[in-house]
Amino acid sequence: MDFLAQLATNFIGLFQAGGETFVGLVTGIVPLLIVLMTAVNSLIKIIGEERVEKAAKFSSKNFILRYTVLPVLAMFFLTNPMAYTFGRFVEEKHKAAFYDSAVSFCHPITGLFPHANPGELFVYLGISAGITTLGLPVGDLAIRYFIAGVLVILLRGIVTERIYAVMASKKANAGVK
Amino acid sequence: MYQAVIIKKGQGGWGGPLVVKPNDKQKYIMSVTGGGIDPVAQKIADLTGATALDGFLSSAPDDEIACVVVDCGGTARCGVYPKKGILTINLTPVGQAGPLAKYMNEENYVSGVKQVNVSLFDGEVPEGETTKAENGGAKKEDYQKIKSQAKASAEKQPGFVGLISRIGKAVGGVVGKFYQAGREAIDMVIKNVLPFMAFIAMLIGIINVTGLGTLIANTISPFAGSLPGLILISIVCTIPFLSPILGPGAVIAQVVGTLVGVQIGAGAIAPALALPALFAIDGQVGCDFIPVGLSLGEAETETVEIGVPAVLFSRLITGPAAVLIGFVLSIGMYS
Repeated sequence: MDFLAQLATNFIGLFQAGGETFVGLVTGIVPLLIVLMTAVNSLIKIIGEERVEKAAKFSSKNFILRYTVLPVLAMFFLTNPMAYTFGRFVEEKHKAAFYDSAVSFCHPITGLFPHANPGELFVYLGISAGITTLGLPVGDLAIRYFIAGVLVILLRGIVTERIYAVMASKKANAGVK
Repeated sequence: MYQAVIIKKGQGGWGGPLVVKPNDKQKYIMSVTGGGIDPVAQKIADLTGATALDGFLSSAPDDEIACVVVDCGGTARCGVYPKKGILTINLTPVGQAGPLAKYMNEENYVSGVKQVNVSLFDGEVPEGETTKAENGGAKKEDYQKIKSQAKASAEKQPGFVGLISRIGKAVGGVVGKFYQAGREAIDMVIKNVLPFMAFIAMLIGIINVTGLGTLIANTISPFAGSLPGLILISIVCTIPFLSPILGPGAVIAQVVGTLVGVQIGAGAIAPALALPALFAIDGQVGCDFIPVGLSLGEAETETVEIGVPAVLFSRLITGPAAVLIGFVLSIGMYS
Protein backbone atom coordinates (compact mmCIF):
# COMPACT_ATOMS: atom_id res chain seq x y z
CA MET A 1 0.00 0.00 0.00
CA ASP A 2 2.85 2.32 0.88
CA PHE A 3 4.36 1.57 -2.45
CA LEU A 4 1.14 2.51 -4.23
CA ALA A 5 0.88 5.72 -2.21
CA GLN A 6 4.47 6.60 -3.10
CA LEU A 7 3.70 5.92 -6.75
CA ALA A 8 0.67 8.20 -6.62
CA THR A 9 2.73 10.97 -4.99
CA ASN A 10 5.40 10.73 -7.68
CA PHE A 11 2.76 10.68 -10.37
CA ILE A 12 1.07 13.81 -9.03
CA GLY A 13 4.47 15.44 -8.49
CA LEU A 14 5.20 15.09 -12.17
CA PHE A 15 2.31 17.40 -12.96
CA GLN A 16 2.65 19.66 -9.96
CA ALA A 17 5.92 20.89 -11.45
CA GLY A 18 4.09 21.49 -14.73
CA GLY A 19 1.33 23.32 -12.87
CA GLU A 20 3.84 25.64 -11.24
CA THR A 21 5.39 26.38 -14.61
CA PHE A 22 1.93 27.09 -15.99
CA VAL A 23 1.09 29.53 -13.20
CA GLY A 24 4.44 31.23 -13.81
CA LEU A 25 3.66 31.64 -17.51
CA VAL A 26 0.11 32.84 -16.88
CA THR A 27 1.00 35.43 -14.24
CA GLY A 28 4.26 36.46 -15.90
CA ILE A 29 3.24 36.77 -19.52
CA VAL A 30 -0.53 36.73 -20.01
CA PRO A 31 -1.46 40.06 -18.28
CA LEU A 32 1.08 42.05 -20.33
CA LEU A 33 0.10 40.15 -23.44
CA ILE A 34 -3.62 40.91 -23.06
CA VAL A 35 -3.13 44.63 -22.46
CA LEU A 36 -0.54 44.98 -25.21
CA MET A 37 -2.71 43.07 -27.68
CA THR A 38 -5.72 45.23 -26.78
CA ALA A 39 -3.71 48.41 -27.35
CA VAL A 40 -2.29 47.29 -30.68
CA ASN A 41 -5.63 45.89 -31.86
CA SER A 42 -7.24 49.26 -31.06
CA LEU A 43 -4.52 51.13 -32.93
CA ILE A 44 -5.04 48.91 -35.97
CA LYS A 45 -8.80 49.49 -35.89
CA ILE A 46 -8.39 53.26 -35.52
CA ILE A 47 -5.84 53.55 -38.34
CA GLY A 48 -7.95 51.31 -40.53
CA GLU A 49 -7.02 48.94 -43.31
CA GLU A 50 -7.50 51.47 -46.12
CA ARG A 51 -4.70 53.75 -45.01
CA VAL A 52 -2.36 50.80 -44.61
CA GLU A 53 -3.19 49.65 -48.11
CA LYS A 54 -2.03 52.98 -49.50
CA ALA A 55 1.34 52.58 -47.80
CA ALA A 56 1.46 48.98 -48.98
CA LYS A 57 0.87 49.96 -52.61
CA PHE A 58 3.60 52.56 -52.37
CA SER A 59 6.18 50.23 -50.85
CA SER A 60 5.55 47.43 -53.34
CA LYS A 61 7.43 49.19 -56.14
CA ASN A 62 10.96 49.37 -54.74
CA PHE A 63 12.78 46.12 -53.94
CA ILE A 64 14.15 47.24 -50.59
CA LEU A 65 10.79 48.51 -49.34
CA ARG A 66 9.07 45.47 -50.85
CA TYR A 67 11.00 43.07 -48.63
CA THR A 68 11.21 45.24 -45.51
CA VAL A 69 8.41 47.78 -45.07
CA LEU A 70 5.71 45.84 -46.90
CA PRO A 71 6.06 42.55 -44.95
CA VAL A 72 6.42 44.40 -41.65
CA LEU A 73 3.27 46.43 -42.32
CA ALA A 74 1.44 43.31 -43.44
CA MET A 75 2.42 41.33 -40.34
CA PHE A 76 1.72 44.20 -37.95
CA PHE A 77 -1.67 45.21 -39.33
CA LEU A 78 -3.10 42.02 -40.81
CA THR A 79 -1.21 39.46 -38.63
CA ASN A 80 -0.52 35.83 -39.48
CA PRO A 81 -1.99 34.37 -41.74
CA MET A 82 -3.91 37.23 -43.40
CA ALA A 83 -0.64 39.18 -43.89
CA TYR A 84 0.04 37.20 -47.06
CA THR A 85 -2.96 38.81 -48.76
CA PHE A 86 -0.71 41.85 -49.26
CA GLY A 87 0.92 39.71 -51.95
CA ARG A 88 -1.77 41.11 -54.22
CA PHE A 89 0.05 44.46 -54.32
CA VAL A 90 3.24 43.04 -55.83
CA GLU A 91 3.86 41.84 -59.38
CA GLU A 92 3.28 38.20 -60.19
CA LYS A 93 7.01 37.44 -60.44
CA HIS A 94 7.62 38.88 -56.98
CA LYS A 95 4.84 37.05 -55.16
CA ALA A 96 6.87 34.01 -54.09
CA ALA A 97 9.66 36.26 -52.79
CA PHE A 98 7.16 38.44 -50.93
CA TYR A 99 5.58 35.41 -49.29
CA ASP A 100 8.99 34.08 -48.24
CA SER A 101 9.87 37.47 -46.83
CA ALA A 102 6.55 38.01 -45.02
CA VAL A 103 6.29 34.55 -43.50
CA SER A 104 9.85 34.79 -42.21
CA PHE A 105 8.82 37.80 -40.15
CA CYS A 106 5.98 36.06 -38.34
CA HIS A 107 8.24 35.13 -35.41
CA PRO A 108 10.78 38.02 -35.23
CA ILE A 109 7.84 40.41 -34.78
CA THR A 110 6.46 38.55 -31.75
CA GLY A 111 9.22 39.73 -29.41
CA LEU A 112 7.84 43.27 -29.57
CA PHE A 113 4.33 42.77 -30.98
CA PRO A 114 2.91 39.41 -29.91
CA HIS A 115 -0.53 40.24 -31.33
CA ALA A 116 0.83 39.46 -34.81
CA ASN A 117 1.11 35.74 -34.20
CA PRO A 118 -0.28 34.75 -30.79
CA GLY A 119 -0.58 31.07 -31.72
CA GLU A 120 3.18 30.66 -32.20
CA LEU A 121 4.65 32.77 -29.43
CA PHE A 122 6.90 30.12 -27.98
CA VAL A 123 9.48 30.21 -30.75
CA TYR A 124 10.52 33.50 -29.13
CA LEU A 125 9.09 33.04 -25.62
CA GLY A 126 10.66 29.61 -25.23
CA ILE A 127 14.14 31.01 -25.78
CA SER A 128 13.57 34.34 -24.03
CA ALA A 129 12.35 32.43 -20.96
CA GLY A 130 15.96 31.27 -20.54
CA ILE A 131 17.14 34.89 -20.53
CA THR A 132 14.50 35.71 -17.91
CA THR A 133 15.66 32.78 -15.78
CA LEU A 134 19.16 34.27 -15.77
CA GLY A 135 17.70 37.55 -14.52
CA LEU A 136 18.71 39.46 -17.66
CA PRO A 137 16.40 41.97 -19.39
CA VAL A 138 14.69 40.56 -22.50
CA GLY A 139 14.27 43.95 -24.21
CA ASP A 140 17.71 43.69 -25.76
CA LEU A 141 16.91 40.31 -27.32
CA ALA A 142 13.47 41.45 -28.54
CA ILE A 143 14.74 44.55 -30.35
CA ARG A 144 17.73 42.74 -31.85
CA TYR A 145 15.46 39.88 -33.00
CA PHE A 146 13.25 42.48 -34.72
CA ILE A 147 16.18 44.20 -36.47
CA ALA A 148 17.88 40.96 -37.47
CA GLY A 149 14.46 39.78 -38.69
CA VAL A 150 14.16 42.76 -41.03
CA LEU A 151 17.64 42.05 -42.46
CA VAL A 152 16.83 38.36 -42.89
CA ILE A 153 13.54 39.00 -44.71
CA LEU A 154 15.26 41.48 -47.03
CA LEU A 155 17.87 38.83 -47.88
CA ARG A 156 15.18 36.13 -48.29
CA GLY A 157 13.18 38.37 -50.60
CA ILE A 158 16.17 39.17 -52.82
CA VAL A 159 17.47 35.59 -52.99
CA THR A 160 14.06 34.03 -53.63
CA GLU A 161 13.28 36.64 -56.27
CA ARG A 162 16.51 35.66 -58.12
CA ILE A 163 15.87 31.91 -57.81
CA TYR A 164 12.29 32.35 -58.96
CA ALA A 165 13.45 34.36 -61.99
CA VAL A 166 15.99 31.68 -62.98
CA MET A 167 13.46 28.85 -62.57
CA ALA A 168 10.76 30.74 -64.47
CA SER A 169 13.07 31.45 -67.41
CA LYS A 170 14.23 27.81 -67.50
CA LYS A 171 10.65 26.67 -67.56
CA ALA A 172 9.84 29.13 -70.35
CA ASN A 173 12.82 27.86 -72.39
CA ALA A 174 11.76 24.24 -71.87
CA GLY A 175 8.30 25.21 -73.11
CA VAL A 176 9.74 26.65 -76.34
CA LYS A 177 11.69 23.50 -77.15
CA MET B 1 -20.77 12.33 -64.36
CA TYR B 2 -19.66 13.08 -60.85
CA GLN B 3 -20.74 11.16 -57.74
CA ALA B 4 -21.37 12.68 -54.34
CA VAL B 5 -19.52 11.54 -51.22
CA ILE B 6 -20.27 12.14 -47.59
CA ILE B 7 -17.38 12.81 -45.24
CA LYS B 8 -17.94 12.30 -41.54
CA LYS B 9 -15.70 13.45 -38.73
CA GLY B 10 -13.20 10.88 -37.48
CA GLN B 11 -12.19 9.98 -33.95
CA GLY B 12 -11.79 13.14 -31.89
CA GLY B 13 -12.76 15.20 -34.89
CA TRP B 14 -15.18 18.07 -35.22
CA GLY B 15 -17.64 19.45 -37.75
CA GLY B 16 -19.37 17.96 -40.73
CA PRO B 17 -20.64 15.72 -42.09
CA LEU B 18 -19.88 17.34 -45.41
CA VAL B 19 -21.35 16.28 -48.70
CA VAL B 20 -18.94 16.87 -51.56
CA LYS B 21 -20.26 16.74 -55.08
CA PRO B 22 -17.89 18.03 -57.74
CA ASN B 23 -19.31 19.40 -60.95
CA ASP B 24 -17.90 20.45 -64.31
CA LYS B 25 -16.60 23.66 -62.85
CA GLN B 26 -15.59 22.52 -59.38
CA LYS B 27 -13.69 19.45 -60.47
CA TYR B 28 -10.57 19.43 -58.28
CA ILE B 29 -9.86 17.85 -54.92
CA MET B 30 -6.93 19.85 -53.57
CA SER B 31 -4.53 18.10 -51.20
CA VAL B 32 -2.52 20.68 -49.27
CA THR B 33 -0.70 18.20 -47.06
CA GLY B 34 2.98 18.64 -47.95
CA GLY B 35 4.20 15.37 -49.39
CA GLY B 36 2.05 14.22 -52.25
CA ILE B 37 -1.66 13.57 -52.55
CA ASP B 38 -3.02 12.23 -49.30
CA PRO B 39 -4.89 8.88 -49.52
CA VAL B 40 -8.02 10.59 -48.19
CA ALA B 41 -7.91 13.13 -51.03
CA GLN B 42 -7.27 10.33 -53.49
CA LYS B 43 -10.23 8.35 -52.18
CA ILE B 44 -12.55 11.33 -52.46
CA ALA B 45 -11.31 11.86 -56.02
CA ASP B 46 -11.72 8.18 -56.93
CA LEU B 47 -15.24 7.97 -55.52
CA THR B 48 -16.47 11.22 -57.00
CA GLY B 49 -14.68 11.03 -60.32
CA ALA B 50 -12.96 14.33 -59.70
CA THR B 51 -9.23 15.04 -60.10
CA ALA B 52 -6.95 15.09 -57.07
CA LEU B 53 -4.24 17.75 -57.11
CA ASP B 54 -1.15 18.14 -54.95
CA GLY B 55 -1.37 21.70 -53.71
CA PHE B 56 2.41 21.90 -53.44
CA LEU B 57 2.99 21.06 -57.10
CA SER B 58 0.01 22.55 -58.83
CA SER B 59 -2.81 24.88 -58.11
CA ALA B 60 -6.28 25.73 -59.28
CA PRO B 61 -8.43 28.83 -58.98
CA ASP B 62 -10.55 28.80 -55.83
CA ASP B 63 -13.82 28.49 -57.70
CA GLU B 64 -12.72 25.26 -59.39
CA ILE B 65 -12.02 23.46 -56.13
CA ALA B 66 -14.70 21.07 -54.88
CA CYS B 67 -13.01 20.59 -51.54
CA VAL B 68 -9.59 20.80 -49.98
CA VAL B 69 -7.79 18.24 -47.79
CA VAL B 70 -5.34 19.67 -45.24
CA ASP B 71 -3.32 18.37 -42.29
CA CYS B 72 -3.43 21.51 -40.21
CA GLY B 73 -2.55 21.47 -36.55
CA GLY B 74 -4.90 24.33 -35.77
CA THR B 75 -3.23 27.57 -36.79
CA ALA B 76 -3.80 28.69 -40.30
CA ARG B 77 -4.86 26.33 -43.06
CA CYS B 78 -7.87 25.01 -41.14
CA GLY B 79 -9.32 28.52 -41.18
CA VAL B 80 -8.08 29.97 -44.45
CA TYR B 81 -10.17 27.74 -46.69
CA PRO B 82 -13.40 28.02 -44.70
CA LYS B 83 -12.88 31.80 -44.84
CA LYS B 84 -12.68 31.56 -48.62
CA GLY B 85 -15.86 29.46 -48.64
CA ILE B 86 -14.16 26.22 -49.70
CA LEU B 87 -15.21 22.94 -48.06
CA THR B 88 -12.32 21.86 -45.85
CA ILE B 89 -11.36 18.37 -44.72
CA ASN B 90 -8.71 18.31 -42.02
CA LEU B 91 -6.89 15.02 -41.38
CA THR B 92 -5.86 16.27 -37.93
CA PRO B 93 -8.59 16.22 -35.30
CA VAL B 94 -8.78 19.96 -34.72
CA GLY B 95 -11.93 21.86 -33.80
CA GLN B 96 -12.62 25.54 -34.30
CA ALA B 97 -9.13 26.88 -33.66
CA GLY B 98 -6.65 29.46 -34.81
CA PRO B 99 -7.06 33.12 -35.62
CA LEU B 100 -9.66 32.37 -38.30
CA ALA B 101 -11.76 30.06 -36.10
CA LYS B 102 -14.85 32.21 -36.49
CA TYR B 103 -15.08 31.23 -40.16
CA MET B 104 -15.11 27.52 -39.41
CA ASN B 105 -18.46 25.84 -38.94
CA GLU B 106 -20.10 22.44 -39.26
CA GLU B 107 -21.22 23.21 -42.82
CA ASN B 108 -17.76 23.98 -44.25
CA TYR B 109 -15.34 22.02 -42.09
CA VAL B 110 -14.77 18.49 -40.86
CA SER B 111 -11.71 17.14 -39.06
CA GLY B 112 -10.01 13.99 -37.85
CA VAL B 113 -10.91 12.39 -41.17
CA LYS B 114 -9.50 9.01 -42.19
CA GLN B 115 -10.21 7.02 -45.32
CA VAL B 116 -13.00 5.04 -43.59
CA ASN B 117 -14.89 8.27 -42.92
CA VAL B 118 -15.34 8.86 -46.65
CA SER B 119 -18.20 7.05 -48.33
CA LEU B 120 -20.51 7.41 -51.29
CA PHE B 121 -23.59 9.50 -50.63
CA ASP B 122 -26.76 8.31 -52.30
CA GLY B 123 -29.22 10.82 -50.94
CA GLU B 124 -30.48 13.88 -52.76
CA VAL B 125 -27.80 16.52 -53.13
CA PRO B 126 -29.27 19.96 -52.96
CA GLU B 127 -27.44 22.26 -55.32
CA GLY B 128 -26.99 24.22 -52.18
CA GLU B 129 -23.48 25.49 -51.80
CA THR B 130 -23.65 28.42 -54.14
CA THR B 131 -27.21 29.40 -53.29
CA LYS B 132 -26.40 29.28 -49.61
CA ALA B 133 -23.50 31.62 -50.12
CA GLU B 134 -25.64 33.97 -52.16
CA ASN B 135 -28.29 34.10 -49.46
CA GLY B 136 -25.64 34.93 -46.92
CA GLY B 137 -24.35 37.69 -49.12
CA ALA B 138 -27.79 39.17 -49.66
CA LYS B 139 -28.48 39.19 -45.96
CA LYS B 140 -25.30 41.08 -45.32
CA GLU B 141 -26.17 43.60 -47.98
CA ASP B 142 -29.59 44.21 -46.43
CA TYR B 143 -27.93 44.70 -43.10
CA GLN B 144 -25.47 47.18 -44.59
CA LYS B 145 -28.32 49.04 -46.24
CA ILE B 146 -30.30 49.30 -43.00
CA LYS B 147 -27.19 50.39 -41.18
CA SER B 148 -26.37 53.11 -43.69
CA GLN B 149 -30.01 54.31 -43.66
CA ALA B 150 -29.85 54.59 -39.90
CA LYS B 151 -26.60 56.47 -40.19
CA ALA B 152 -28.07 58.85 -42.75
CA SER B 153 -31.11 59.61 -40.62
CA ALA B 154 -28.89 60.31 -37.62
CA GLU B 155 -26.74 62.68 -39.65
CA LYS B 156 -29.78 64.57 -40.93
CA GLN B 157 -30.76 65.88 -37.51
CA PRO B 158 -30.02 69.59 -37.44
CA GLY B 159 -28.66 71.87 -34.72
CA PHE B 160 -27.69 71.08 -31.18
CA VAL B 161 -29.31 67.66 -31.00
CA GLY B 162 -27.53 66.69 -34.18
CA LEU B 163 -24.21 67.85 -32.80
CA ILE B 164 -24.68 65.88 -29.57
CA SER B 165 -25.67 62.79 -31.43
CA ARG B 166 -22.65 63.13 -33.75
CA ILE B 167 -20.28 63.47 -30.79
CA GLY B 168 -22.00 60.60 -29.06
CA LYS B 169 -21.62 58.45 -32.14
CA ALA B 170 -17.96 59.34 -32.57
CA VAL B 171 -17.15 58.56 -28.93
CA GLY B 172 -19.21 55.42 -29.10
CA GLY B 173 -17.33 54.41 -32.23
CA VAL B 174 -13.93 54.80 -30.60
CA VAL B 175 -14.96 53.12 -27.37
CA GLY B 176 -16.51 50.34 -29.39
CA LYS B 177 -13.22 49.82 -31.16
CA PHE B 178 -11.30 49.58 -27.89
CA TYR B 179 -13.84 47.21 -26.49
CA GLN B 180 -13.75 45.01 -29.57
CA ALA B 181 -9.94 45.06 -29.44
CA GLY B 182 -10.07 43.83 -25.86
CA ARG B 183 -12.52 41.12 -26.76
CA GLU B 184 -10.27 39.94 -29.58
CA ALA B 185 -7.22 39.95 -27.31
CA ILE B 186 -8.97 37.84 -24.68
CA ASP B 187 -10.30 35.53 -27.35
CA MET B 188 -6.82 35.04 -28.81
CA VAL B 189 -5.32 34.32 -25.41
CA ILE B 190 -7.97 31.75 -24.57
CA LYS B 191 -8.05 30.05 -27.95
CA ASN B 192 -4.39 30.19 -29.00
CA VAL B 193 -2.05 31.21 -26.20
CA LEU B 194 -3.29 29.38 -23.11
CA PRO B 195 -3.61 25.95 -24.77
CA PHE B 196 -0.01 26.14 -25.93
CA MET B 197 1.12 27.36 -22.52
CA ALA B 198 -0.57 24.33 -20.97
CA PHE B 199 1.29 22.05 -23.36
CA ILE B 200 4.65 23.76 -22.77
CA ALA B 201 4.13 23.79 -18.98
CA MET B 202 3.44 20.05 -18.97
CA LEU B 203 6.50 19.44 -21.10
CA ILE B 204 8.83 21.52 -18.93
CA GLY B 205 7.39 19.97 -15.76
CA ILE B 206 8.00 16.43 -16.96
CA ILE B 207 11.48 17.27 -18.24
CA ASN B 208 12.52 18.88 -14.97
CA VAL B 209 11.13 16.18 -12.68
CA THR B 210 12.17 13.07 -14.56
CA GLY B 211 15.74 14.04 -15.27
CA LEU B 212 15.12 14.02 -19.01
CA GLY B 213 16.62 17.49 -18.79
CA THR B 214 20.14 16.13 -18.43
CA LEU B 215 19.67 13.87 -21.41
CA ILE B 216 18.36 16.74 -23.54
CA ALA B 217 21.15 19.02 -22.33
CA ASN B 218 23.72 16.48 -23.43
CA THR B 219 22.05 16.12 -26.83
CA ILE B 220 21.12 19.70 -27.61
CA SER B 221 23.81 21.80 -25.98
CA PRO B 222 26.71 20.70 -28.21
CA PHE B 223 24.65 21.77 -31.24
CA ALA B 224 22.80 24.80 -29.94
CA GLY B 225 25.77 25.98 -27.90
CA SER B 226 28.10 26.91 -30.75
CA LEU B 227 27.84 28.79 -34.04
CA PRO B 228 28.79 25.84 -36.30
CA GLY B 229 26.26 23.69 -34.43
CA LEU B 230 23.53 26.29 -34.97
CA ILE B 231 24.35 26.48 -38.66
CA LEU B 232 24.09 22.71 -38.85
CA ILE B 233 20.64 22.84 -37.22
CA SER B 234 19.52 25.48 -39.73
CA ILE B 235 20.72 23.35 -42.65
CA VAL B 236 18.76 20.35 -41.40
CA CYS B 237 15.65 22.49 -40.92
CA THR B 238 15.83 23.86 -44.46
CA ILE B 239 16.36 20.63 -46.43
CA PRO B 240 13.60 21.00 -49.03
CA PHE B 241 11.83 17.71 -48.32
CA LEU B 242 12.06 18.17 -44.54
CA SER B 243 11.08 21.81 -44.23
CA PRO B 244 7.39 21.39 -45.18
CA ILE B 245 7.09 18.55 -42.64
CA LEU B 246 8.78 20.52 -39.85
CA GLY B 247 6.63 23.58 -40.47
CA PRO B 248 3.01 23.05 -39.36
CA GLY B 249 1.92 25.38 -36.56
CA ALA B 250 5.59 26.04 -35.80
CA VAL B 251 5.07 23.34 -33.15
CA ILE B 252 8.55 21.87 -33.59
CA ALA B 253 10.23 25.28 -33.56
CA GLN B 254 8.29 26.17 -30.41
CA VAL B 255 9.19 22.97 -28.59
CA VAL B 256 12.86 23.18 -29.59
CA GLY B 257 12.85 26.87 -28.67
CA THR B 258 11.57 25.98 -25.21
CA LEU B 259 14.22 23.28 -24.77
CA VAL B 260 16.98 25.68 -25.84
CA GLY B 261 15.53 28.30 -23.48
CA VAL B 262 15.69 25.87 -20.57
CA GLN B 263 19.36 25.21 -21.39
CA ILE B 264 20.14 28.94 -21.58
CA GLY B 265 18.46 29.35 -18.19
CA ALA B 266 20.56 26.49 -16.81
CA GLY B 267 23.73 28.16 -18.06
CA ALA B 268 24.61 25.41 -20.54
CA ILE B 269 24.28 27.76 -23.52
CA ALA B 270 25.58 31.34 -23.60
CA PRO B 271 22.74 33.93 -23.51
CA ALA B 272 24.19 35.79 -26.51
CA LEU B 273 23.56 32.72 -28.65
CA ALA B 274 19.81 33.16 -28.07
CA LEU B 275 19.59 35.40 -31.15
CA PRO B 276 21.29 33.12 -33.71
CA ALA B 277 19.45 30.17 -32.12
CA LEU B 278 16.12 31.87 -32.84
CA PHE B 279 16.97 31.79 -36.55
CA ALA B 280 18.57 28.33 -36.49
CA ILE B 281 15.45 26.59 -35.22
CA ASP B 282 13.16 28.53 -37.54
CA GLY B 283 14.66 28.07 -41.02
CA GLN B 284 11.59 26.07 -42.03
CA VAL B 285 9.13 28.81 -41.09
CA GLY B 286 6.11 28.82 -43.38
CA CYS B 287 7.44 26.09 -45.70
CA ASP B 288 4.30 24.06 -45.01
CA PHE B 289 2.15 26.98 -46.05
CA ILE B 290 3.64 28.22 -49.34
CA PRO B 291 0.77 27.31 -51.72
CA VAL B 292 -1.83 28.69 -49.31
CA GLY B 293 0.14 31.85 -48.64
CA LEU B 294 0.60 32.43 -52.35
CA SER B 295 -3.07 31.91 -53.09
CA LEU B 296 -3.90 34.40 -50.32
CA GLY B 297 -1.72 36.83 -52.28
CA GLU B 298 -3.84 36.06 -55.37
CA ALA B 299 -0.99 34.37 -57.21
CA GLU B 300 -1.61 32.62 -60.52
CA THR B 301 -1.43 28.84 -60.78
CA GLU B 302 1.95 28.92 -62.54
CA THR B 303 3.40 31.22 -59.91
CA VAL B 304 2.52 28.64 -57.26
CA GLU B 305 4.10 25.84 -59.29
CA ILE B 306 7.44 27.63 -59.57
CA GLY B 307 7.12 29.54 -56.32
CA VAL B 308 6.98 26.51 -54.02
CA PRO B 309 10.33 25.00 -55.06
CA ALA B 310 11.86 28.48 -55.39
CA VAL B 311 11.12 29.26 -51.73
CA LEU B 312 12.21 25.80 -50.57
CA PHE B 313 15.57 26.01 -52.37
CA SER B 314 16.12 29.61 -51.35
CA ARG B 315 15.89 28.57 -47.70
CA LEU B 316 18.97 26.36 -48.09
CA ILE B 317 20.93 29.57 -48.67
CA THR B 318 19.05 32.01 -46.49
CA GLY B 319 18.57 29.63 -43.54
CA PRO B 320 22.26 29.43 -42.58
CA ALA B 321 22.71 33.07 -43.66
CA ALA B 322 20.02 34.09 -41.18
CA VAL B 323 21.95 32.37 -38.38
CA LEU B 324 25.04 34.38 -39.36
CA ILE B 325 23.06 37.64 -39.41
CA GLY B 326 21.69 36.76 -35.98
CA PHE B 327 25.20 35.99 -34.75
CA VAL B 328 26.63 39.29 -35.98
CA LEU B 329 23.76 41.23 -34.41
CA SER B 330 24.17 39.37 -31.13
CA ILE B 331 27.66 40.79 -30.64
CA GLY B 332 27.69 42.78 -27.44
CA MET B 333 24.42 41.35 -26.16
CA TYR B 334 24.45 40.30 -22.47
CA SER B 335 28.20 40.57 -22.24
